[in-house]
Amino acid sequence: MTKATTRRFFFAGTILFTLVFIGLTVHTHSTIAARTHADQIDEKVVRGLHVWARYNCENCHTLLGEGAYYAPDLTEIVAQRGRTYLSAFLADPSKFYSEERDGRLMPTLGLSEQQISDVIDFLAWVDGIDTNGWPPRPILVAGAAPRGVAGIEASADSADPVQRGQAVFNGPGACASCHSLAAGTTLVGPSLAGVATTAVDRILQPDYHGAADSTEDYLRESVLEPSRHLVPGERYAAGDRSLMPDTFGQTLTEKQIDDLVAYLATLR
Amino acid sequence: MTYRSQRVAYAWFAAALLLFALQIAFGYLSLAKYLGPDPLLDVMHFATTKAIHTNLLLVWLLTGFMGATFYLVPEESRTELHSERLAWIQLGLWLAAGVITIVGYLFGITEGRKFLEMPFVLKLGVVVVMVMFLYNVVMTIRKSGRFTTTEGVLIGGLAGAALLFLPGLLYFDNYTLDRFYRWWVVHLWVEGVWELIMGALLAFLLIRLSGADREVMEKWLYVIVGLTFLSGILGTGHHYYWIGTPRYWLWVGGFFSALEPLAFLGMAIYAYTIVRRSGLAHPNSLALHWTIGSAIFSAIGAGILGFAHTWPSVNQWTHGTHVTTMHGHMAFFGAYAMIVLAMISYALPQLTGRSDEERQTRLGMAAFWLMVAGMFGMTMALAAAGITQTYLERILGVGYLETQQKIQVHYLMWLGTSLVFGAGVAAYVWDFVRAGAPRPAAAAPT
Repeated sequence: MTKATTRRFFFAGTILFTLVFIGLTVHTHSTIAARTHADQIDEKVVRGLHVWARYNCENCHTLLGEGAYYAPDLTEIVAQRGRTYLSAFLADPSKFYSEERDGRLMPTLGLSEQQISDVIDFLAWVDGIDTNGWPPRPILVAGAAPRGVAGIEASADSADPVQRGQAVFNGPGACASCHSLAAGTTLVGPSLAGVATTAVDRILQPDYHGAADSTEDYLRESVLEPSRHLVPGERYAAGDRSLMPDTFGQTLTEKQIDDLVAYLATLR
Repeated sequence: MTYRSQRVAYAWFAAALLLFALQIAFGYLSLAKYLGPDPLLDVMHFATTKAIHTNLLLVWLLTGFMGATFYLVPEESRTELHSERLAWIQLGLWLAAGVITIVGYLFGITEGRKFLEMPFVLKLGVVVVMVMFLYNVVMTIRKSGRFTTTEGVLIGGLAGAALLFLPGLLYFDNYTLDRFYRWWVVHLWVEGVWELIMGALLAFLLIRLSGADREVMEKWLYVIVGLTFLSGILGTGHHYYWIGTPRYWLWVGGFFSALEPLAFLGMAIYAYTIVRRSGLAHPNSLALHWTIGSAIFSAIGAGILGFAHTWPSVNQWTHGTHVTTMHGHMAFFGAYAMIVLAMISYALPQLTGRSDEERQTRLGMAAFWLMVAGMFGMTMALAAAGITQTYLERILGVGYLETQQKIQVHYLMWLGTSLVFGAGVAAYVWDFVRAGAPRPAAAAPT
């Protein structure tokens, strides 16, 4: 093999693969509008993209998995959290997270209501992009904490029943391994986002056959006798039996159940 | 130094090292925020320090490449630079653009596109500076009439980098299209034309350090850069798996990016063969260490660690986790930082008029081993963090925040090992300062 041969290999290969790449680029470019439902890119989405860029969001967060790894991926955030929550969050993240508890906090960016609305529109549009199935399972901001995570079980000895209840939720109750606290996100059982609010409506519904007549009673009943009221859906129940274990009356103490109910009642 | 105008390379090298040190400082600031809490949250939050950290990386490496070119081209073409003055003006403009950009970031002026955050006007400035640079180099070669393959590959890489910067000037309202063309710059730089620069610098150093036959070296250089483009161009597809681009990229990107390690392995074999054949006899042992180190570290960091998570069925879980951070750190250091440090170590005795023997300091050697050990440790810490994050957050579905708390211990290891690395950087910079200002050779050139 001479230098002239290897030179030909270099030039021929480079030209060939450049041409193939350009060909694929032309094709890809022509398909992107359909794959990203580009007809939905209105001026609000475009303004939202500018907010996203202007505030350098992707140097902390990832979107479609691209960006920096200091903050959660936001590809499905609008579906997970909903617009109302996100609007309140973006106005003042420190109301929702704390550096002491969560290790880090998003700075308050001073966004206007318009900017907040626009960037949520942009993120909602991104969520609709055909990503070839990514992420293969939901990426959560928080929740489903495993046992033994520092700072989560530490609150088990707190004087506040709500904090103790949260420790039960994440720890001995293992509620978090099945129930997400993100709206619309189903791990195994239904999401518990806003469960205290929906409880009030539930017990008033004609198809409710349980014995509870208050939010707290309903929550306690759901923990101890999950089949008294079934959330519709094949993933949650078979016939008139809930798929959730009905053994928490045995595995948890009276006090732990009281604490857990106190915590669940705060999920409004 | 053989040619007087080569002294401008010294200034470019000094600037590169200054920016390198600054990059590490912003790396520490960013890392501190991972450990939290962050007292600078409202003054200079993570997005700012991290953007500065990555931008300085690109800038100091390019500064080093251009410095290396100003040193190499006169030697290869056996002539003075076409215009030394132009090279000085270019350095001034380049640094001015850099300073304005970084200060702008501190005040929140950014385009917010990862790696391409620089405002549009300054990007145009970069294009102008690159054109000045290429003009100067091409005129130098034309004047002499002597044009080597090594030089050709180097200039090809630099011209390619300038050309591929242009898609970074494009804007799309469709985020997917914006991503699509952004990768033309970022991927086709570091997994394309920059590999030409690395290959050429490696070939130059191996020829000089081993006395190997130029014809043979340059023959294999074509094979290496041929493999780079054969795999790297369509390998861009590994960035097109999940961003809204068609499904065929999973196959195209997966297959061709799985071939990307070949070019880096080729460079490692290239260096290894030369060392076996010619031994390690050159008196500039520091330059030899950095050169061989670069060939090995790039094969591991860019080649093997990139390969580890490039296949779509793996990447769907690791995409956007610290597995990428792990690969990124060792790849950039091995392939590009080390080859620039190798060029500086090779050129410094000549530029400062000292003998090679005089420049083989214990400090210089300590810098090498501290940086190599530190980066190896950082890569291990990040691998542990990335794999744990992937398993907990992506596979088990544990929340991002809880996962981050779980991997804090790996961040502590990251910090510990990065302090070793930082000590190496400090040693290298101090050793560079101790070599003194540029002056003509006092001792006979070796």
